[in-house]
Amino acid sequence: MVARSGPRNTRLLVVGLVALSLAIITLDYRQGQSGPLAAMGRGAQAFMAPLQQGVTSATRPVGDFFSGLAHLPSLERENQDLKDQLAALQTKVAAGTQRDAQLQQLLDLLALKNSLDPETVPAVVIANGLSNFHYTITIDKGSDDGVQMCQPVVTGDPSSPRLVGQVVAVTPISSEVRLLIDRDFSVAGQLASSGETGLVVGEGGDQDLSMLNVPPGTTFPEGDAPEYVFTVSYEIEGQHGRYPPGLLIGQVSSVHESSNALETDVAVKPAVDFSALEFVLVLKTNASEGCA
Amino acid sequence: MTRRVISVFAIVITAVLLQSTVFAQLRLLGVRPELLFLVTIVLALLEGPNEGAVVGFVSGLAQDMFLDQPKGITALTLTLVGYGVGMARQYIVSPSPLMPTIVVAIATALGMAFYEVVAFLLGSFDLPVTEAVRIALLTAAYNAVLTPILYPLLRRIVEGSRPRRVVHF
Repeated sequence: MVARSGPRNTRLLVVGLVALSLAIITLDYRQGQSGPLAAMGRGAQAFMAPLQQGVTSATRPVGDFFSGLAHLPSLERENQDLKDQLAALQTKVAAGTQRDAQLQQLLDLLALKNSLDPETVPAVVIANGLSNFHYTITIDKGSDDGVQMCQPVVTGDPSSPRLVGQVVAVTPISSEVRLLIDRDFSVAGQLASSGETGLVVGEGGDQDLSMLNVPPGTTFPEGDAPEYVFTVSYEIEGQHGRYPPGLLIGQVSSVHESSNALETDVAVKPAVDFSALEFVLVLKTNASEGCA
Repeated sequence: MTRRVISVFAIVITAVLLQSTVFAQLRLLGVRPELLFLVTIVLALLEGPNEGAVVGFVSGLAQDMFLDQPKGITALTLTLVGYGVGMARQYIVSPSPLMPTIVVAIATALGMAFYEVVAFLLGSFDLPVTEAVRIALLTAAYNAVLTPILYPLLRRIVEGSRPRRVVHF
């Protein structure tokens, strides 16, 4: 590919490529999403999306097999836990039916229904991010289907959605979604039983999420009763939160409180198994307003 | 020459494709291989510093296009990795078949460390040091495991696309 040349020419070539790399870093750093390099990135993603879709659909069974092997030891225990949870939840559902009807009436009265149940775009996960440091997925829907930057992405069904992440890049035919577990991800969360709020942030990889700013003395359910964390709506100086309230973020996995701490350390296990994520829903909110 | 360029681009695109699909599910302790590091190191070993640097730049830029961070960091890293491995090969005299595996492991670990430092200086990397070291070492180990499989394949492609040399007497 490159003609053979002496050491001097090689050094010149390397210095040139290093200078070019530094120029690219500077240009992209200054211009961000509106720059020509970001546009090139979107073009490359759009070019690769159909190829990724083809490879993923062809190799998913193989990947699922190996992924299943890796999770085998924990599956049996998880199965028993899920059976116990199901029994408890069936009891709760029976009790909650009446409250749901009342809530529905109140939501209709407040005309909030549309803002809480935005239109959704179903999408298939066609690829994962390339980096070992950032956690993203690529989905097969883009701006042609109405997907916009910063829109929330969930899984499950629209009536009981679980938060997956947020759209961070959009091409006409595909979008990139930053996952809940990414270190750059943060969302306002609320503890289901106490109602206390905090900032839920990703910790990367297989680690649980951290819920920050939870006041000391917050009460948690006794024994093995689960405590869930949901998204919460808020408004600061006219700016609304990017996520509709009521999206399940995860379940509290551990709580640490020291006597002199100003807040309680809360770890949250994500509700979504990101290693087996195949289908998602993009909520078509107006999140792109004020989106970075 | 055209055949060579097409071969290198095909290798880079295939590596991006595999890393974002198949290997995203085949993680080793939460870490996936860095195929573009592997491609750059192997081509630099086979072809020397010139081609190592160019392939590193192209591979790095291709990977940067898919990352949500300042573009150019991987291009810078892999340019230097390709050049460094290409320069180092003249000092490697061992005929051991394990040699490419060892070089890939060491160069991947050093390259990852360099990448982490540059990304940290640009404010787009905030992992604890222990986690950063763990990821660099595991990625190096994963790349080393893949080398015996991919090295012969890449060598065959590279040698097959090498321009024919005519010797005149």
